[in-house]
Amino acid sequence: MTFLQILLGIYEGFGITAIVTVLGLLYAIPFALLAGILQHFSTGAARWVVTATIEFWRSSPVIVLLYAFYYSLPAFGINLSAISVGAMVLGLNIGGYGSQSVRAALQTLNRGQREAGLALGLSRIEVLRFVELPQAIAAMTPTFINQAIQLIKGTSLVSLLTLTDMTFRAKEIAQLSYNPVGVYSGLLVAYLIICYPVTIFGRRLERSAAKGRGASHEF
Amino acid sequence: MTSNPTDEQAGMGSIQTVRGGTAVSIENVSKWYGNFQVLRDVNLHVATGERIVVCGPSGSGKSTLIRCVNQLEKHQRGRIVVNGTELRPGTKGLPAIRREVGMVFQQFNLFPHLNVIDNCTLALVRARKLARNAAEAVAMENLTRVRIPEQAKKFPAQLSGGQQQRVAIARALCMKPKIMLFDEPTSALDPEMIKEVLDVMTRLADEGMTMICVTHEMGFAREVADRVIFMDGGEIVEQANPAEFFSNPVQVRTRQFLSQLLH
Repeated sequence: MTFLQILLGIYEGFGITAIVTVLGLLYAIPFALLAGILQHFSTGAARWVVTATIEFWRSSPVIVLLYAFYYSLPAFGINLSAISVGAMVLGLNIGGYGSQSVRAALQTLNRGQREAGLALGLSRIEVLRFVELPQAIAAMTPTFINQAIQLIKGTSLVSLLTLTDMTFRAKEIAQLSYNPVGVYSGLLVAYLIICYPVTIFGRRLERSAAKGRGASHEF
Repeated sequence: MTSNPTDEQAGMGSIQTVRGGTAVSIENVSKWYGNFQVLRDVNLHVATGERIVVCGPSGSGKSTLIRCVNQLEKHQRGRIVVNGTELRPGTKGLPAIRREVGMVFQQFNLFPHLNVIDNCTLALVRARKLARNAAEAVAMENLTRVRIPEQAKKFPAQLSGGQQQRVAIARALCMKPKIMLFDEPTSALDPEMIKEVLDVMTRLADEGMTMICVTHEMGFAREVADRVIFMDGGEIVEQANPAEFFSNPVQVRTRQFLSQLLH
């Protein structure tokens, strides 16, 4: 088997990798925003609940979460497909990290921004929506792109839920061809080919956001 | 002073209303940060159309006082009445009250992610629910008023400090406030930019705007203020019209402060 054949074989699993990534982002982004904002604003018991939820998803090993949700939930009568479990676990795990970027970005914003919005007669929610979040999201874009890449790489774990993603394909090919060195090197390259463009995209996003504000080094 | 009897509200009988209406009443107001008392039993009545300059050493409570007027800081004791509405903890409709009170900050606090005109229209569109083109017309009108209409499409980071502060004034004026608060508007500016901001403020005063300005620009105070307030240690130590205040200060603390400032 040539290296190209190996790569093409691995990319037969690209569909699953892509679907789990996209669905994972659909969990990660709302969860990160919601949990980060709630943690920033809540106090007392409410804050404790938010923090506990974030920590559950963030501090548990992804593989343990995958097994727990995929193999244990059916015992309670809840049957989720492997794709659903994979996307949810990976998404909420990354979202847990993301929530901390959101909270940090909100916290580091100059207090004067909030005050200026309030002084103009905007409500607290409007200040959050039109003044704080746009700036926080711009500030956390680089971190967020990093986390998206983490998510792409994390999808390799869904091969353990019998999903035929790129990693699963590599294992199949390795067993058939008795060429683990070539196949797993190919797998390494296969992920790199996907992730590196995302990094480039992230940099470009950052630059265009900076250009829009007329200052390239503000954040 | 303009005569505006509608500003006189029922239920304010205990307040000595100045003829022409009271814009702001501050009665026996105290505030603490932890154990530190930052305002001590402050009393101040500002008539509609009156121009007040508040000065005093740093930590004297002057910024805190004007920030209580739009409740960016909450007072813990006493009464504050703005445009006839008393501000209490949990006052409903605080945003609506704040729309009538413009504020200009030392650090400008323009929104860096929005260009100049969007800085001006944000609250008009979102809070006043104006249509975008109507809001932009108001914004251009006020940017012209502060003589900076040609910068409308630029971002704050592309402007000088003086220009940013003039945009901040225009942004506040867009809401058509009845009162303007200035919190050391020129303190963060390079000397050559102070004049352009003070000129705008002077013109605003000439138009009859009710103004409370915390500033150390004594030239501005002399020229524009109806009354100069000197604060120290969280209390109003002395207040007088500028001529009297500068030529004949009564209190020792005022004299000390003025001698440090003028020499």
